[in-house]
Amino acid sequence: MKRRIAIFVLLVVCTGMLAGCWSKKELTDLAFIIAVGLDKTKDGKYLASFQVVNPGNVAGATQRGGGAAGVPVSIYASTGDSLVEASRKASQKLSRLPYYAHTNLVVIGEEVAREGLDGVFDALERNNQFRTTARLVIAHGHSAQDVLTVLTPVDKISANQIIKTLEFSEMAWGQTMNVDVWQVIRDLSSPGRNPVVTGVKIEGNPTRGKRQTNVQSSVPDARVSLDGLALFKNGRLVKWVNGPTARGVVWVLDRIKQTNVTIPWNGKQEAIGFRTVRAKTDVEAEFKGGRPSISVHIGAEGDISEVLTMVHLNDPAVLLRLEKELDRHIENEVKQAIVSAQRVRTDVFGFGDAVHRAAPRLWKKIQNEWHDRYFPELDVTVTADIYIRRTGLRNKPYMEK
Amino acid sequence: MEPIQINIRQLFVLIVLFEHGSAIVIPLGVSAKQDVWIAILLGLALGLLVFSVYGRLFRCYPDQPLVGYIQHIVGAPLGKLLGIVYVTYFLYIAARVLRDFGELLLTFAYPETPLFVLNAIMALVVMYGAYKGLEVLARTGELFLAMLYVMALAGFVLVFVSGVMDLSQLEPVLEEGWGRVWKTVFTETLYVPFGEMIVFTMLFPYVNNPAKVSRAAVIGMALTGLNLAVIAAINMIVLGPDGASRSSFPLLDTIRRIQVAHFFERLDVLFMIALIIGGFFKISIFFYAGVVGAAHLFGISKHQRIVYPLGLLVLLLSIAIASNYAEHIYEGLKIVTFYLHIPLQIIIPVLLLVIAAIRRRFGPSTK
Repeated sequence: MKRRIAIFVLLVVCTGMLAGCWSKKELTDLAFIIAVGLDKTKDGKYLASFQVVNPGNVAGATQRGGGAAGVPVSIYASTGDSLVEASRKASQKLSRLPYYAHTNLVVIGEEVAREGLDGVFDALERNNQFRTTARLVIAHGHSAQDVLTVLTPVDKISANQIIKTLEFSEMAWGQTMNVDVWQVIRDLSSPGRNPVVTGVKIEGNPTRGKRQTNVQSSVPDARVSLDGLALFKNGRLVKWVNGPTARGVVWVLDRIKQTNVTIPWNGKQEAIGFRTVRAKTDVEAEFKGGRPSISVHIGAEGDISEVLTMVHLNDPAVLLRLEKELDRHIENEVKQAIVSAQRVRTDVFGFGDAVHRAAPRLWKKIQNEWHDRYFPELDVTVTADIYIRRTGLRNKPYMEK
Repeated sequence: MEPIQINIRQLFVLIVLFEHGSAIVIPLGVSAKQDVWIAILLGLALGLLVFSVYGRLFRCYPDQPLVGYIQHIVGAPLGKLLGIVYVTYFLYIAARVLRDFGELLLTFAYPETPLFVLNAIMALVVMYGAYKGLEVLARTGELFLAMLYVMALAGFVLVFVSGVMDLSQLEPVLEEGWGRVWKTVFTETLYVPFGEMIVFTMLFPYVNNPAKVSRAAVIGMALTGLNLAVIAAINMIVLGPDGASRSSFPLLDTIRRIQVAHFFERLDVLFMIALIIGGFFKISIFFYAGVVGAAHLFGISKHQRIVYPLGLLVLLLSIAIASNYAEHIYEGLKIVTFYLHIPLQIIIPVLLLVIAAIRRRFGPSTK
């Protein structure tokens, strides 16, 4: 009898312990916040926008072919003196508990970025739900809230649309970078490197972009697209760079995977396209008479992607000359990027880190003045070694001489 | 002394699990910044030197635990007193590790659960393990060590494949010279986890092959030291010196960086399992050593009789020792190291060895 009671008590204790539902939350009680946007209001408070997934509509929409079901996401906004305060306050509007473990995107409004990012991310890295692998973008010319409200046609959840665009554009084109919160925090806290973040803008009419009709047209009224790189200094956005200059930044940071470089040939401006397949950049610090200088070496290989002029690609000597021209072209692109960063006195390339690694003693002395005094006058040599490996399925173009 | 016997492989497994214990999850030696791996390896080297003292003492008294031969060496009254000090030390460290464990779980996984509940559940398991005895603990260890290693390898491969490693984060090597490294060695890495091998002087007599004990312990310590150095270096390579030293749990942050093919990500559970396995063995071994030590000192024939009272004591102590995590860590680094680790791990064992040697040479035979 005694034994039976003991077993009974044990079973009761086990059921209590093993169920593990101390602070359980049902799935239907959670609001999955997929993206967070951060703006400033006029009176200097934070305006946080939360993009919440509307689970029923995401699944339903795909089955009904993007039909007339509700919108896949909805936006909740609230103000507060800090991000956490705003987030807690949002519970007055949200019928579920906000859940941040699936937050994949953080959008910072341009105004907040210009005022400075110091401390903005603390709540994000301190929180145990939030992942610092979430992507970060800056809303270029719009508020973060506007960016999050635009409905997108292909990937129903607009945060996913932005993330995938970031990912594939970095892979294919290389004028933007897929940066996550963690990397930005690392750059902000490092004395020898400042952050670079990709911008997003809205093409079209943001107010019409929030309607479901936006995704019912083959040319939406509003679209979110990536736009340039934001350079930071002392945690503040100081400059936007676009186009080839932006790609120059990406080259130095060794983030180019594939891209297309067009060079002039035979006197024609945009004559030959080169597609990189592999690229690697090495940055090294050197010292001449106690002064640091930097050498950037780019190695890349790829194929000819397009030819708009007459050229004999089966002649190795021609390829060699093409490679030389490509070297020069890419070197210029990179130099352009470095000069434009030097003009605003912000080392976004991590040259300071390279100096730190190579000469820790010297770095101790110059690190406080690095961005303002040493970096703008820094002597940077850029060399590129481009190899054309293949010319595609044709050797000569079909045009007449 | 109860006739428990574990074999040499089981001893090795226990040592490896014990040494990994909490050392893989806490920010071990991060004050050495990117040179943390050097600090750990130096800690290992000095730790082996300190262990040679324990090994020699064991060779002099192969059938006695520490609290037994301490009475032989310095005489019964003082020896008994020192024995009580050691038993208290083991139980106190068990309580500290239990607190570490609860705090870690609370910080990153169970923010709304009271500390007492988490600690109590762990303490129950530890008490049960100690009640069942060393053999059961050792057999459990054999199972879990394999699991821990499979997880560690998987984690390593995934971190590597994620492409988040940047070897240059380990540079510049010895940025501030050797000073910072030695300081870390003498304030942190020597004592935790290597100096904590003192607790095994309580368990060596239970091994069925005394001749090989020292060898197993040395290999176990060396293996752990290398593993810990590699883990610390990986944390640095992934997080950078700043990221790693600002983190409460660098390994957790490293694991969180894993992203492979949109599929292998958010593997926090790996960290959690490593934490629970390591924590369990570390607490269990300290606790078991405390229990058998007390049983030996007070002439209690079956250690099972005091497992539950002492377990309750450890549980309550784990709650009472500090009012917040910062205080707990501060005590661990600044107070416990200087007032407990240094005297009990190093000074007293060395004195014991010296006195034992003098007695052997000059005094009448103690055998």
